Amino acid sequence: MIRRVLWLETEHPMQLVLGLTIWSLWFVTVYGGLSVVCAVAPPAPEQGALTGLNLVLGVLTLMTLGFLAWLTQRCMAAARRKRGRLRYMSALAGGLYLFSTVGVAFAGLPLLLLPPCL
Amino acid sequence: MSDTQASGHHARDKAARLHRELEVVWRNPRGLRALTVVNHSTLGLRFMATGLVFFLVGGVLAMLIRTQLALPSQAFMTPEIYHQVTTMHGTVMMFLFAIPVLEGLAIYLIPKMLGTRDLLCPRLTAFGYWCYLFGGIILLSSMALEMAPDSGWFMYTPLSSGEYSPGKGSDFWLLGITFVEISALSAGVELTVSILRTRADGMALHRMPLFAWYILVMALMIVVGFPPLIFGSVLLELERAVGMPFFIVEQGGDPILWQHLFWLFGHPEVYIIFLPAAGIVSTLLPVFARRPIVGYGWAVAAVIITGFISFGLWVHHMFTVGIPHLAQAFFSAASMLVAVPTAIQVFVWLATLWLGRPRMSLPMLWILGFLVIFVCGGLTGVMLALVPFNWQVHDTHFVVAHMHYVLVGGMFFPLMAGFVYWLPLVSGRMPSERLGRWAFWLTFLGFNLTFLIMHWTGLLGMPRRVYTYDSAMGWDIYNLISSVGGFMMSAGIAMVLLDLALHWRFGRPAPPNPWEADTLEWGLSMPPAPYNFASLPTIKSRHPLWDNPALGDEMARGEHALADASHGRREILGGEVLTGRVRERIHLPTNSWWPLFAALVLAVVCISLLVRLYPLALGAFLVAVAMLLRWSWENGGHPAAAPLGDDEATSPPLHSRTRGGPARFTMCVSLMADGAFFLSLLFGWFYLWSVSPQWRLPAESPLDPILLIGAGIAFALGVLWLERRLRRLYAGDETRLSPAFYMIAALGGLHVLLLVALLWQADLAPTDNAHDAILLVSLAYLLGHGLLASLLMAMQGRRAALGYVSARLPMEPGVVALFWRYQLGIYAILAVSLGVLPRVIGGGA
Repeated sequence: MIRRVLWLETEHPMQLVLGLTIWSLWFVTVYGGLSVVCAVAPPAPEQGALTGLNLVLGVLTLMTLGFLAWLTQRCMAAARRKRGRLRYMSALAGGLYLFSTVGVAFAGLPLLLLPPCL
Repeated sequence: MSDTQASGHHARDKAARLHRELEVVWRNPRGLRALTVVNHSTLGLRFMATGLVFFLVGGVLAMLIRTQLALPSQAFMTPEIYHQVTTMHGTVMMFLFAIPVLEGLAIYLIPKMLGTRDLLCPRLTAFGYWCYLFGGIILLSSMALEMAPDSGWFMYTPLSSGEYSPGKGSDFWLLGITFVEISALSAGVELTVSILRTRADGMALHRMPLFAWYILVMALMIVVGFPPLIFGSVLLELERAVGMPFFIVEQGGDPILWQHLFWLFGHPEVYIIFLPAAGIVSTLLPVFARRPIVGYGWAVAAVIITGFISFGLWVHHMFTVGIPHLAQAFFSAASMLVAVPTAIQVFVWLATLWLGRPRMSLPMLWILGFLVIFVCGGLTGVMLALVPFNWQVHDTHFVVAHMHYVLVGGMFFPLMAGFVYWLPLVSGRMPSERLGRWAFWLTFLGFNLTFLIMHWTGLLGMPRRVYTYDSAMGWDIYNLISSVGGFMMSAGIAMVLLDLALHWRFGRPAPPNPWEADTLEWGLSMPPAPYNFASLPTIKSRHPLWDNPALGDEMARGEHALADASHGRREILGGEVLTGRVRERIHLPTNSWWPLFAALVLAVVCISLLVRLYPLALGAFLVAVAMLLRWSWENGGHPAAAPLGDDEATSPPLHSRTRGGPARFTMCVSLMADGAFFLSLLFGWFYLWSVSPQWRLPAESPLDPILLIGAGIAFALGVLWLERRLRRLYAGDETRLSPAFYMIAALGGLHVLLLVALLWQADLAPTDNAHDAILLVSLAYLLGHGLLASLLMAMQGRRAALGYVSARLPMEPGVVALFWRYQLGIYAILAVSLGVLPRVIGGGA
């Protein structure tokens, strides 16, 4: 999938849904991963937010953030180069990637602050 | 007679002949055969008229509730009846009014706005309508029989389970709603594909009317959002009917699973209702502001974002069930995020009003009412997204008030604006401004009197769904005001009905394009002909009628594309998704009894399950499947659909002469719905495994690994063979096509046989524990799909033998191949999840 995203033209209609699909996959992975670990092997509450689970989910969040930010930049740059329908689709895709990037950052922020299983 | 006059006469004769030809091909039959109609305009109106009847039923139930709560310690209704009334009010309004009416509006308008003659799957439209009607009647009949569901409109377990709801009420809900949801899914699939593939020539995505964007996202949300509830309903009905304990903790189930499945559907559902209504606002505002919408791209982005983010909020309905704070914080953040696209839309609307020259016509009044109410509802939504506040007001009337602000403000007011706006298109007459204004003000004031006050009632601690209260609680005056407001609102609705009743006789005849709108539907005659457009336009901007006010006359004179019906087929144009450029001519099926008969037999299935006549249910189900397959027979390359000619035009070709055309899209979108059901199943398995306190994996998996692998290999061989045969077919080689398809179907049959053996040897005890129960459901799911895949392939073999599939008619096997690939994919995932992982992780995990 990553390969296809990397090579897809910035005006392709799939670009309109890929960023938010990545956001959704990240969201489900983070929530699902948290729930499973909390059900199977919850970290000790006294560790607070400094747990391996927070770290793993945090790294995943940062990786997703970086990937989405790169996709945002790619589409925005293409929108500046192109004209007409191609410009419109690239700019729209860029905006949607930007929102997905901000969405990951905002919803992932609690990983820095809260213990995972309380 | 001069040459100019002669050519004018000639053009008029030609146009009249074209309309006569189109009328013969597209007209609706009368009398009993009116039941066979598949035309989108007729069915869209039937959806809306039926929805109106259900709305009135739901409204009467609301007034019964307000009468009961008007004074403390009332005995107007018993608690049992009160719970039935509140449950049915919510159920009817959500499932039988809000969604179907908006679907009906979309079904009526979308082809007209896109510049085409019908939706892509007309028989599916009819089938959806009949499922909706019969499902609704079954559900409502429970009230007449005094056994209506009474566990609340979201049917939480264990209250709705057999132990606490032993009557038939929950069964009516589960079976009736599932039946109605078939209708929603049908509309979801065909609206998606129609919007993507049947727009007018040149209507690229960035020129599409905003309403179509909203409906596209709504339709996709239905496709993905409804299956979790269908899956949950199947599980709960299985628990109630035969005792499979999916939601019983002692036997390895978990009632919270129901909450997850319900809200996985339930929260997106709010946006499924809101988005089309917002689409109405985005369509009407520019017309009355007399300028293009400000920030078209922003609005499109906001709609797409809403479609996705709304699936990440479901747990905010479950903040009080004991979920870790961190998980709550994720959902709290996502709930706040969804306010961003909504706010973008509000600013787009305000900017359009600001920069335009607004006219205060009647539709605008309803839109202003919407803006006021919906913004208030949105703000209380942000309050509820905050966990501490949410806990404080959980299950109180504050939540009820918020929900009504969002749903009535966000859906009903725009719907009324749209109703007044498009009424002249349907009737050819203008709505009454005076009666309309009375209706608006009574509804607006009555609504706010009811629900603004209800926020205070909730903050004072009054729980929802209590049938009465003591005067000492201090809620008397608030409830009385709410009840007075409720009846005032009802008077407003009565005024709308009066306006409608008088309209058909006394309404002023409407001039052409009475609101000076920009979208294509206003270029049609009023009311429109069954074929909408005599010729199909080429689109060069977002505002075709503003750019060329004479476009309607030009289309009526047959000066644009597809101005020919002498072949006797119902034809539309199919285009590329991105650019809208024409790719093919699509021939549509005509009126048919099959949708009605298939829905009727499904109603028999539903009723026999209700009364627990399982052999009859099974028999009727098999008859329904046979009918649906028979329906599919006269399609594609079948001579009844479009006989193969020797000198057919190839530019553009008929769709059944291409490799896939819109049929591939239809299959893909249907498989998305199927995939959402499958993911819900997978979620159920892993959820119970990881969370349910009494869940036990057996020490050894009951699934025989050799049978499991053997069934997979048989099917994989079938898929590989099919792919190879498809490549040869596309290269023009049709030798021994039919035997090859029969052999591939036989491999599918072997797959099914091995699955049956697997199920047999597993010796499951599905009524003893949730593990075996969900294993059984998973295997049954695979079995059903394997059987259908084999059957479809065998039919391809027969069709190839009859010449309906060939090198010149290569469309169908590629569509069936998609289903085979899907089955192979889900088989692999389920084999790993059910057979391999439990072995790796081990029993007792």
